[in-house]
Amino acid sequence: MASRVVVREHINGWLFIAPALILLGIFMIYPIIWSLWMSFQTGRGMNFSFGGLANIQRLFADTVFLRALGNTMIFLVVQVPIMIILALLFAVALNDTKLWGRSFFRTAIFLPCVTSLVAYAVLFKSMFSAEGVVNATLVGLGLDPVPWLTDPFWAKVLIIMAITWRWTGYNMIFYLAALQNVDRSIYEAARIDGVPPWARFLYITLPMLKPVILFTTVISTIGTLQLFDEPYNITQGGPSQATLTLSYYIYDLTFRFMPSFGYSATVSWVIVVLVGILTFVQFLVAREGRRA
Amino acid sequence: MSGLKLRGVRKSFGSVEVIKGVDLDIASKEFVVFVGPSGCGKSTLLRMIAGLEAITGGELHIGDELMNDVDPSKRGIAMVFQTYALYPHMTVRENMGFALRFAKVPKDEIKRQVDEAARILELGPLMDRRPKELSGGQRQRVAIGRAIVRHPEVFLFDEPLSNLDAELRVHMRIEIARLHKELKTTIIYVTHDQVEAMTLADKIVVLRDGVVEQVGTPLQLYDNPDNLFVAGFIGSPKMNFLKGIMENGAVRLPDYENRIVPTGVRAADGTPVTVGIRPEHFKEGGSAALPLTVDIVEHLGGETYAYARHGNGDLLTLATGNDRAVGSGDSYEAKFDPASMLIFDAGGLRIR
Repeated sequence: MASRVVVREHINGWLFIAPALILLGIFMIYPIIWSLWMSFQTGRGMNFSFGGLANIQRLFADTVFLRALGNTMIFLVVQVPIMIILALLFAVALNDTKLWGRSFFRTAIFLPCVTSLVAYAVLFKSMFSAEGVVNATLVGLGLDPVPWLTDPFWAKVLIIMAITWRWTGYNMIFYLAALQNVDRSIYEAARIDGVPPWARFLYITLPMLKPVILFTTVISTIGTLQLFDEPYNITQGGPSQATLTLSYYIYDLTFRFMPSFGYSATVSWVIVVLVGILTFVQFLVAREGRRA
Repeated sequence: MSGLKLRGVRKSFGSVEVIKGVDLDIASKEFVVFVGPSGCGKSTLLRMIAGLEAITGGELHIGDELMNDVDPSKRGIAMVFQTYALYPHMTVRENMGFALRFAKVPKDEIKRQVDEAARILELGPLMDRRPKELSGGQRQRVAIGRAIVRHPEVFLFDEPLSNLDAELRVHMRIEIARLHKELKTTIIYVTHDQVEAMTLADKIVVLRDGVVEQVGTPLQLYDNPDNLFVAGFIGSPKMNFLKGIMENGAVRLPDYENRIVPTGVRAADGTPVTVGIRPEHFKEGGSAALPLTVDIVEHLGGETYAYARHGNGDLLTLATGNDRAVGSGDSYEAKFDPASMLIFDAGGLRIR
């Protein structure tokens, strides 16, 4: 039997978290459940009816969806590893106390992720336009201009460069924080023991950063699966849907075409399932590595 | 095995000089302890020998080789750190064998070496554990094992016992002494704990503010300190210091009813001096005495320390042997042999 003090403490506790719980319930939990229910509805606009697995069947026949899924996977598989490796290298370099001007470089590399999304997207769009600064520079160097916004391949490259530019510094900060928690004498011991620098990175730094690398990989995977802002602002999903992502397609389904709320909810749940699977796989890989 | 030779070794960080010219000879197989208060430069000096800090000036020889600019891994040294510096994600076995992998030692030879070190340090049952599953003392043994497998000419220990509790510290101290006997290598050991220095060292180097104050065997430093600093630093409890004035080949003690204590030390009449008397040198049967009132008594069982003063003077520490009758508030004639007095001049240097 709980005493009165304990009961009062319980009531107090619930009262304190009630405002947050109510808001979360209205704006998160309810919409999530609603969208799950919606994903089984077919129909356009406000006329919808229960369609069972019809939406899921539609996914497999929908070439635009398959295109968006493919594009998103390409972004994921190419961009996340590049960014993680870059962020690691920057972090290790900028953790060196002997490096001149390292706080300047740290700030410079971190700064992109605090700039306005739209502002940077607009800048990228103008810089990489057919006659933008980048092509002018390339021509000035005697190279051919690159059709950044009009070629399907180069448009993907541009989007990857943009998100890498924006998010590398953000990931680097996590690695820097982790590196600064490493006892310096571990590296000194390795130096005295004659462990070469590459081996110190491979066998000491990397394993010690593994939990942080896992965390940033999961976060970046989720972020890339939801990729929307850059394709929307820089390439508008084009050319010919070369940079159309899943999130962008959901937006199109919901707001651009005759709204198909049920089907767009289904596509949203595809992202949820993908995030779940990939995160599970990443944790599994991390645990395997620990056992080995 | 190699000895070491330091000649005019200096270290500056910017305009701040932290090691101000150290000359030192360390014989092969010698156990040398650097001791001094924190900030005296003892760890910096050790790190310079290890090659972790650059040498600003002077020469460092290990064996017969000039080592100033040699890479740490090529100096024939191994180092044990205060924080153990074990690789957290590796097992004990991997920690100990890691360096050998890069020295191109064959796998079965690594295993043999690691097993041998594990035997010496009694680490057998722990070989597959990770550092976080070990106690502080076990971690330190692994760190020592990691040093042993490299067969260094010189072992460097940087305050290896400071993170251990008091009981374990005594135990590990004995382990390290045993290890020195068994391995017969040169050891340089840094500590701020003068008891560790006294118990372990063949030779103690007392450092203060980047300067060597005195070098000698533990008993030389205890019996025959060169200056006030060494006299006060070596010995526990600390030596008592009294104000004195030289008069007619004797010392007058103005704070103790102007008592006159004869001394063999020669100095001009009227010279102000500091008189040092160790707590354990107050003994029944001494021909000189100080009139004191006991303030506080500490009974340790085998030893009784009395803290006493004359009037409102400084508190003196007396080791009364096992005199359990001493009580707080007692008047006490603290007898001592005048020959056990050490006399220092106004600049703190010993007058002999």
